Amino acid sequence: MNDVATFRPVDIGADANSNADEPDAKITARNLNFYYGSSHAVKNVNLAVHNKRVTALIGPSGCGKSTLLRIFNRMYAIYPKQRAEGEVLLDGANVLDGHYSVNRLRTKVGMVFQKPVPFPMSIYDNVAYAIRHYEKLSRADMDARVEESLRNAALWDEVKNKFNQSALGLSGGQQQRLCIARAIALKPEVLLLDEPTSALDPISTAKVEQLISELKTQYTVLIVTHNMQQAARVSDSTGFMFMGELIEFGPTEEMFTHPKNQKTTDYITGRFG
Amino acid sequence: MAQSPTLPLSAASPQDHREARDHLHDRLFRYLVMGCALFVLVALLAAALSMLWGGREAFSTFGAQFLWSADWDAVQRKFGALVPIYGTLVTALIAMIIAVPVSFGIALFLTEIAPAWLRTPVAAAIELLAGIPSIIYGMWGLFVFVPFMSEHVDPWLDEHFGPLAIIGPLFQGAPIGLGMLTAGIVLGIMVIPFISSVTREVFMTVPVHLKESAYAVGNTTWEVVWDVVLPYTRSAVIGGIFLGLGRALGETMAVTFVLGNAHRLSASLLEPGNSIAATIANEFTEADSPIYLSSLIALGFLLFIVTFIVLAIARLMLSQLARREGATT
Amino acid sequence: MISMWMRRQLTDYIAKTLGTAATLFGLFWLTWILWTTVSKGLPALKWELFTQMTPPPGADGGLLNAFAGSIVMSGLAVLIGTPLGIAAGTYLSEYARHTKLGATIRFVNDILLSAPSIVIGLFVYELMVRQMGHFSALAGAVALSFIVLPVVVRTTDEMLQLIPSTMREAALALGVPQWKVVRQVLYRASMSGIVTGVLLALARISGETAPLLFTALNNQYWANSLLDPMANVPVVIFQYAMSPYEFWHALAWAGAFVVTMFVLMLGLLSRWLLLNKGKIS
Repeated sequence: MNDVATFRPVDIGADANSNADEPDAKITARNLNFYYGSSHAVKNVNLAVHNKRVTALIGPSGCGKSTLLRIFNRMYAIYPKQRAEGEVLLDGANVLDGHYSVNRLRTKVGMVFQKPVPFPMSIYDNVAYAIRHYEKLSRADMDARVEESLRNAALWDEVKNKFNQSALGLSGGQQQRLCIARAIALKPEVLLLDEPTSALDPISTAKVEQLISELKTQYTVLIVTHNMQQAARVSDSTGFMFMGELIEFGPTEEMFTHPKNQKTTDYITGRFG
Repeated sequence: MAQSPTLPLSAASPQDHREARDHLHDRLFRYLVMGCALFVLVALLAAALSMLWGGREAFSTFGAQFLWSADWDAVQRKFGALVPIYGTLVTALIAMIIAVPVSFGIALFLTEIAPAWLRTPVAAAIELLAGIPSIIYGMWGLFVFVPFMSEHVDPWLDEHFGPLAIIGPLFQGAPIGLGMLTAGIVLGIMVIPFISSVTREVFMTVPVHLKESAYAVGNTTWEVVWDVVLPYTRSAVIGGIFLGLGRALGETMAVTFVLGNAHRLSASLLEPGNSIAATIANEFTEADSPIYLSSLIALGFLLFIVTFIVLAIARLMLSQLARREGATT
Repeated sequence: MISMWMRRQLTDYIAKTLGTAATLFGLFWLTWILWTTVSKGLPALKWELFTQMTPPPGADGGLLNAFAGSIVMSGLAVLIGTPLGIAAGTYLSEYARHTKLGATIRFVNDILLSAPSIVIGLFVYELMVRQMGHFSALAGAVALSFIVLPVVVRTTDEMLQLIPSTMREAALALGVPQWKVVRQVLYRASMSGIVTGVLLALARISGETAPLLFTALNNQYWANSLLDPMANVPVVIFQYAMSPYEFWHALAWAGAFVVTMFVLMLGLLSRWLLLNKGKIS
């Protein structure tokens, strides 16, 4: 059943700016609203994230893009004053529903954070951490699984001789790739990346961006970035958010060359930031 | 073969079992830690109630008179709390008179006067004073300080201040060394590190730019402290003082050794006396009648109530600053 | 105007001098007390201290049963108080960080932390000694554990709160249940801090006399079980120091010296631990 996009930005009469009717959507937000206490942070967002593609969310600070991202894996649930209304459909099922297990959701939707947070244990244990809770693997199988995750995160070569050492000894860029390896170890279907390179140096950033284009062959990726050039480099589709609303959404090439909304144009050309 | 985690929702799978189990474990863990936390509340309540219960015979026999009767007769089984209360208050007062200015001076030294390399070692040394067990204070007090007082200080005080008009009676008496002044001094030294470490921590929370702008207009160090640091930290400093007072009121061993354990109410600070904690410590195992024991426990209850109030005030004053700190950071 | 400037400088100078004097005053007493402990305790040290039991008046002896008793009761107190304290601190940090109940428990815990230890002794007397009808090492250990408990609660609460929220989020984002995140990730990240808290609690109870005075009492010989009164160093020191016998005084000083050295070493150890292993991320 295809819903025609119903969203219209409140103060600007622009065209339909979402694609909630895409048949190939992996994860979809529908009439999504989010509140920090009484503050309305995400306003009536409708968004479909395309399967096995990279979708970027851009916008100025405080526009709600990180907030929106964190709804997709119900990260807000640990904070009592935060709540979401609306639906997020993963393969047709509403994951915001109380009956949908939040832990199950998080095995399907993984997240990498802005600041690399390796756990205080060995590199091996970091990657194996969640696997150990969900699957009973033999030592050989676990080794293979850890190696696979580290390879997919482009970290294997750098750590293959020292994965019993503490993860805290890695450099910033390596730690972040470790966090990616950790997130994909459970073989999720969707990967949420919250400004994954903003704390990294340019070389590590390039490595991670390279990694993202490899990851999309296996995972659906939704990335939040405050760096427009990064969005232009890595993503297939881009959504522009402003003050809690999804102003425009479309193929990245189009968004950056022929944006339909004036606000989008202003942001992209640097009128405001 | 690795199990795929993407099973359709409709299957009542091992996944559902695991989720139910995880959920149960989470709930159990939460109740477990909550129970342990509530235990802390229960412990304090139980402590108060148990002492009230133990002292009930004394309270019911002597009534409110217990608080101001100076009796302490084990043979006639008549007991009153006046002497111990008096001794507790006087020794604590002397301790605070010594400790408060000294602690303030130490905090001043450590935050504004000392060069940076000196601060940590000196602060650590002052912390050592807090780490020394109180029984060591008592031993040192009894074997070293008391003789010193009786040989050098007491006679001097008796001679020079004894004959004076109003404060004279405070300093008259035989120079035995044991007494309220000695106990007050030992107590004061014990309490110094507590007040000084809180005051120092509190001084360090003053935002640097506040002090810098005061220095920039030419204020001296002392003026910055008096006009900027103290007003900013006022309630917390008072909180630290109350913390020290709570400690001084309840201290047992340091006082027991040097106070003299005499159930006599005397005006002179050079005379031996008694404090609540010292009375209990010295006489508990020798109490030969239920009313005697009950009186001692009743004393303990009084001490508990007083220190509770003092510590509660201290906590309230300290958390005011903590809240402000949290709001600005 | 010059005289006013000079007056301000003078006030400042006096204040600085007084502050320095106050510090020297404090250090003076510290030195005197430590010097006394060492000069009286060191000569009284002998092997028999650790091999012979507490003697009756007139006989020679050591403090063996007192040391053993203190070790047993302190160890038991830590065993009881630490898990309870860690659990309570976990609740405060992870489940009740900003709630009213959490604030109340923290308040009560702080009061318990600074409460006079003789009051704790009376409480356990009423609770256990009166019920059981006799003094016991168990009662002594329980009294000490009430001193350990608030220290561990506070340290655990503070250490756990220091862990950045992103670490919690990162672990929970993997779908791992909360209790496992606490146990496997958070405790690991704050372990050195929590251990420091336990060491500080241990240092505190090592010198505590008042709570043992009417719970464990004392014992001239070995205690046969935890249900008997048990010898312990602080009460023995108290008893011997207040006595008129010289050789008991010597034993008391030896015991005081050992206890002081032990406490100081614990302090150094916990400081080193915090400095070296205090890294969370």
